[in-house]
Amino acid sequence: MKRLCSAPRLATVAALLFCQAALAHGPVFDCYFEDTSEVKCEAGFTDGSSAAGRKIRVQDASNKVLIEGVVSQDNTFAFEPPAGSYSVLFLGGDGHDVTLQSSDISR
Amino acid sequence: MMKPHTLFKALATVTLSTLACAAQAHFQILYVEDTALPRAQELEFAAVFTHPFVGSPTMAMEKPRAFTHISSHNGDKTDLLKYLRPVEWHSRENKATAYRATIPRDMMRSLGDHIFVMEPEPYLEEEEGLYIQQFTKLIVNVGGVPGQWSDTQDLPVEIQPLSKPYANWTGGVFRARVLADGKPVPFAQVEVEYVNHPLDMTRNALAEKGQVTAPQASFNTLSTYSDSDGVVTIGLPRAGWWGIAALNIGATKTYKGKPLSQDAVLWVQARDMK
Repeated sequence: MKRLCSAPRLATVAALLFCQAALAHGPVFDCYFEDTSEVKCEAGFTDGSSAAGRKIRVQDASNKVLIEGVVSQDNTFAFEPPAGSYSVLFLGGDGHDVTLQSSDISR
Repeated sequence: MMKPHTLFKALATVTLSTLACAAQAHFQILYVEDTALPRAQELEFAAVFTHPFVGSPTMAMEKPRAFTHISSHNGDKTDLLKYLRPVEWHSRENKATAYRATIPRDMMRSLGDHIFVMEPEPYLEEEEGLYIQQFTKLIVNVGGVPGQWSDTQDLPVEIQPLSKPYANWTGGVFRARVLADGKPVPFAQVEVEYVNHPLDMTRNALAEKGQVTAPQASFNTLSTYSDSDGVVTIGLPRAGWWGIAALNIGATKTYKGKPLSQDAVLWVQARDMK
């Protein structure tokens, strides 16, 4: 699986979310618990362009896709968090994918 | 016609003590540690009315009239007054009432620009015989997604950034436009100060020791004017916080029978390239 922006997650917590620093058009992605039964994610790009319509996948530890959807017009995506560890993958386009681990999602 | 601040400063050359007053400007500080956040986090604010270059004294603030958050999400406005709590703020010479506020993380979760505006109660500057009211803006960005950082906020007086206030390298320049009632103010008197005595949020204090020493008093407060379009350009020669204040540009000129200087303040954070 192509995860150009997911490698840094192994090293740091926060920096993994944002791959914008060296890119003119970089992806930005973050998720948080809206309440106990919903995780809300927000996606965007560092040039201000919209992420609406881009795919998001929620995957288990073996990368099995549990939930798939698209970013809405307000650049958000919400889902019911699955049990156990999971990751959320924002498919921001060529070279613009970002993965967030469930352990990095908080209120 | 000479403006009140200028008049006072012209008269204040008689003694060394008054000369010292003339070389420092009032600035309503609105401070957070970091204005370019990688990710949403709780924000700890300090609102202190002081002389940031010389770091003293600190003037007592009354509870601000308004403290507002303009969200990156649709520009939603939230009244933050309930978060303000008075504190005793210490400077080298004195202590006086200032305000702290803890803004919860959930208010900062939207990616993009979050604008904070404070409208203080007018402060009576007894030596100058006038009230000073500084409408102050601070802009925080989350995640690097650009947003409405340059939007005006319909204030009686304000400084509209023409550069991102949270993304500046040391040595760069910063541009802004001085506005009153939404219209550019040509040739406005503008003062610029470096926060030479950094804020110590654990002690509610300005650092006792300054980071730099001015070669002469006129370096404490840098003075310039906006151009014919109301645009002001400043340099950022050192990392840290820079305050820009446009003086006495409001339409309201009196308060409680005394002259009122409605000033606009914007805070800019500069970072070293390293």
